[in-house]
Amino acid sequence: MPGSLRGLICLSLASVAVSGLTACGGDDGDDDAVSDATNGGRTGGTITTAYTSFPDYLDPALSYTQEGWQSMWTVYTPLLTYKHEEGAEGATVVPGLAEAMPDISDDGRVYKLRLREGLTYSDGTDVKASDFEHTIKRVLNLQSGGSSFYQSIEGAERYIDDGRASADISGIETSDETGDITITLTEPDGRFPYILAMNFAAVVPGDTPFENQTKNPPPGVGPYKFDNVRINRGYDLVKVPAFDVRDQATGKLDTITVEVVKNRRRQTQDTIQNKIDYMHDPPAPDQLRDVRARYTGTRYEEFVTNSTYYYFLNHDVAPFDNAEAREAVNIAIDKRSLARLFGGLLEPGCNFLPPGMKGYEKVDPCPWGDPTAAPDVAKARQLVESSGTAGQAVTVFGNDEPEPRALAEYLSDVLNDIGYKARPRIIEASVYPTTIGNRKTRAQAGFASWFQDFPHPGNFMFLVDGDSIQPTNNQNFGNVNDPEINEILDAASRNADIEEVADEYARADRLTVEGAHVAAYGHRELTLFYSDRIDFENCTSWHPVYNLDLTQLCLK
Amino acid sequence: MASGVQPRSHAALPEVGRPAGLALRRLRRNRTALGFGALFVALVALALAAPLWAHIAGTTPSKNHLSDTVVVDGRTEQVVTSDGVPIAPTWQKKFFLGADTNGRDVAVRLLYGARNSLFIGIAAALITTVLAVLLGTLAGYFRGWTDAVISRSLDVLWAFPVLLLGVALGVSLALGGLKVGPLEISGDSKWIPTMIIAVVSVVYLARPIRGQVLSLREKEFVEAARAQGAGPLRIMFGELLPNLVSTILVFFALLVANAILLEAALSFLGAGVQPPEPSWGTMLADGIALLATSPHLTIVPGLMLVLTVLSLNIFGDGLRDALDPRGKVRPEHG
Amino acid sequence: MGRFVVRRLVGMVVVMFAVSVLTFLIFNVIPNGDPADRMAGKNSTPAQIAAIEREWGFDEPLYEQYLTTMEKVASGDLVSYANQTNVVEEIKRGLPRTFALAIGAALLWFAMGTALGLYTAVRAGRWTDTLVTVLALIGISMPVFWLGALASYYLGFKAGLFPNGGYAEIGEAGVWEWVKHMILPWAVLATLFVGVYSRVLRANVLDTLNEDYVRTARAKGLTERRVMVHHVLRNSLIPIVTLWGLDFGMVLGGGAILTETVFDLQGVGQYFAESVGQLDVPPVLAVTLFGAFFIVLLNTLVDIAYAALDPRIRLSS
Repeated sequence: MPGSLRGLICLSLASVAVSGLTACGGDDGDDDAVSDATNGGRTGGTITTAYTSFPDYLDPALSYTQEGWQSMWTVYTPLLTYKHEEGAEGATVVPGLAEAMPDISDDGRVYKLRLREGLTYSDGTDVKASDFEHTIKRVLNLQSGGSSFYQSIEGAERYIDDGRASADISGIETSDETGDITITLTEPDGRFPYILAMNFAAVVPGDTPFENQTKNPPPGVGPYKFDNVRINRGYDLVKVPAFDVRDQATGKLDTITVEVVKNRRRQTQDTIQNKIDYMHDPPAPDQLRDVRARYTGTRYEEFVTNSTYYYFLNHDVAPFDNAEAREAVNIAIDKRSLARLFGGLLEPGCNFLPPGMKGYEKVDPCPWGDPTAAPDVAKARQLVESSGTAGQAVTVFGNDEPEPRALAEYLSDVLNDIGYKARPRIIEASVYPTTIGNRKTRAQAGFASWFQDFPHPGNFMFLVDGDSIQPTNNQNFGNVNDPEINEILDAASRNADIEEVADEYARADRLTVEGAHVAAYGHRELTLFYSDRIDFENCTSWHPVYNLDLTQLCLK
Repeated sequence: MASGVQPRSHAALPEVGRPAGLALRRLRRNRTALGFGALFVALVALALAAPLWAHIAGTTPSKNHLSDTVVVDGRTEQVVTSDGVPIAPTWQKKFFLGADTNGRDVAVRLLYGARNSLFIGIAAALITTVLAVLLGTLAGYFRGWTDAVISRSLDVLWAFPVLLLGVALGVSLALGGLKVGPLEISGDSKWIPTMIIAVVSVVYLARPIRGQVLSLREKEFVEAARAQGAGPLRIMFGELLPNLVSTILVFFALLVANAILLEAALSFLGAGVQPPEPSWGTMLADGIALLATSPHLTIVPGLMLVLTVLSLNIFGDGLRDALDPRGKVRPEHG
Repeated sequence: MGRFVVRRLVGMVVVMFAVSVLTFLIFNVIPNGDPADRMAGKNSTPAQIAAIEREWGFDEPLYEQYLTTMEKVASGDLVSYANQTNVVEEIKRGLPRTFALAIGAALLWFAMGTALGLYTAVRAGRWTDTLVTVLALIGISMPVFWLGALASYYLGFKAGLFPNGGYAEIGEAGVWEWVKHMILPWAVLATLFVGVYSRVLRANVLDTLNEDYVRTARAKGLTERRVMVHHVLRNSLIPIVTLWGLDFGMVLGGGAILTETVFDLQGVGQYFAESVGQLDVPPVLAVTLFGAFFIVLLNTLVDIAYAALDPRIRLSS
């Protein structure tokens, strides 16, 4: 069952199927303008979109799924946000409710921002600087999946331990008169501008209760507002005509109705028949071929997400504590075969970082063989033999979503082929990450994937950072602990200027590949499939963070 | 209904069962039942021959052939196309019944899957029978508080939505495995679905057995044995059990059929046989998502399953007509 | 009679209690992943997990957790671990769908089962008897999700005769749309039961035909039709109605989990299927209780009805 369990978005693709985006105007070549209602595509009208599952929460403090974020980006705006642009450009952080980008102190610990003047929520009340502190308090107090991002703020941990919602966070100072917001971190965090741009930090009114508000989502500052929320069935996004913030996109459509349709085959059929205008997940696997053949370029497109699919290989447990054994796996897996397990919706690759990410430098030639050619299985067998690990038993972990299960069965077969005694072990998806992330499981190898939280290479490389290893809820499933990588990541993580550290992340990426620390094989492709009513020419392209920018969708 | 619809009325039911000779003659006259009985035996033989066919096809049930090619009628074809569509039945040695999305030979998996499905069906039915006979006989023979405890427990089991109980147990146990004293079953063992199916089916047989024992224990031959100083064990297994055989036989065929269907249902809900072992249920569950491009993945294991269960049901039905016209297992896999 | 009814009702409460304890234990005794771990998500810290444990009471002794949970079930405050939606509201939302499926299918299988049972009994021994028997048994022998998927795909998607799954609210889409959405699920679920009913009825009719009172009726010169309807059918139907009550209870109680899932009806059974897939204990517990309630209720009703008809039962128990 596809579940929108919070925290799983990056591991269970099946439901997640992070989706696509539209940015009108991106096609006509004007580069600096944030698209707005004037550049192409008509305004007005109502559309219906289909999600396979209801977003985990309709509360910015809690939602941690692609579905939730996609809708929420139209309703809420954080202090910083992303450009409403297609392609790599959309990954640029720009001022949202803040007047300008933050003023960062030399030691990288103090962020000074100022709220724009005259901002109002969709219910007409004024936005105050102190609302920001309340917003962060809600994230921390509600034990949101996003709370760990904000624990680098001074006093955040004390606030959590204190347990009182009304307590103060010492690292956030605000002034409602001037609109000034000053945030002090315990130590520099290069990702912090991106963390400020996450939906968790999307400003909500200071009287929003400290509980899940999904039934009645709080008002936000954005081109749309939530309406007619029907839990587990759907909701409407209704245009807020009064919304007018400089440089921020306004919506084109009057109403976007989100319907939950659990059956993907029905979604696909309804989209083909124009009963649904946009489906969030890829078409049903057995209709993909048909949709591709009939609608590519007119109603359908595919794009590579900022994601990485890989097999983790546990460095602390035999046989993959042996570098040769890990190399053998990297050589033996056939990336063409793996792409087939995704119905072709996988871009085979050698890097750990995805191609759309800052710091991506293609590792070419790939030390483990061309990702698009047949593998040298004989060489892999030889390596296993020479490593002295041949004949050892390996349990390959996977979860019970369709692709991860097939991927675990595939690796198990490959390992048997090169000299191990392998067996897949399939775990219920909702407990998969905590199971393999628990040291006691001693998971030797298995399926892993990661979708970005934000477009920063640090959000990928921490998966192989030795300093991030923990006994439970570990994300570094393979316990990769390479001193050189750790050192690079530690230094790079302090710098908030992504351009300056891109090369460092590229180096860490290359070391991850060359050390055969994981067996990375590609990046997930996802799809955008629309009804005939949508203006595909002018209003369709993908956004690297939200996949589909709903504000830019328009009718023909 | 003898199957326990009306628990406390069994004693009032007329005694069932017919003499063995008459039963055999009746069964022999039922050509349909015999024909399907033979079909079931043939299916079991086919399952046993799985390694033979794997040898002919030159593969194993878990071997992935994702990027391989196969020559069909002189043309080289991909086992799985680059957009993930597996080859349809080739009707030749390799991929006789096509491939699945992992590029595995469906015919080979079907035969190995038959082993698992039949194993679970038969093993579960055996366990159910043993448990049910034990519980039913104890309750019926000793009456009093023994009966009260057993009957109330069966009432609880009876009140459980069986499939819901099975799925809940299956999902939980698949994760943690089962540990009872020295007995330890790993979460991906096929004993897990077997045990679950066995336990949830006990009530079907235990209640009629109890009812029969209740009335049998008052019979003269039991009185006679008791007068001769036979202990309860002797009476239960020496005197009563032989009289229960016809009921047991009738139920057994139906229990196997029901267990195979339950296994498929559990697998469809993710609580059945775990990879890499194939079973008809898991093959079906995987195939359904690909009906449009690869109908063979749904139709082939489905037909195989229906044929097996049908042969058991028809044979069991004939057996029931011959022995005991009142046995029934409720369909619980809606 | 009054005492019998009271005793049955007390028994009903006891059974429900046992079912709830058992379901609770299944998920709390078998090691299957810490719910607090899961709720904390991928970026959690130990402090966060501890806070969740406190808040949700996972650190309390088991019996206290059980009591709290049952209290919440009773007051309607039970929320899901997975997404914190109200479980009782979700069940209420699924109820009309599950009822629509159960009632329609139950009527269908009762009518079809009776008709086929009578027909085969009258034709007992002829080839039409064998043919209908085999057909009925094919129905019992199919996995309902397989039949459902094939019907939904070939008749719904391919041929376009029916909607491709889903449920239509009568209020929103009208009666005809509702019926169109329900025809396939009704037919598929009924197929599973028709065979059972026709076989049982056939056996009953054949038995009844040999009863003395039927012979007497015939001897009195009543028409064959009158004998069949007034004597044979009436008596043969009693156990069938009993059976029907029980199966109906099971299907009402979420037993049609596969049919609901295949046709995406979003009823109580499908809610269970989705929740159990996430090891989400509160909905699993609540739906199981809900299912057990209907089963036990119909069991009890059937027992009471039987007792009212036949005093021997009251005495024997």
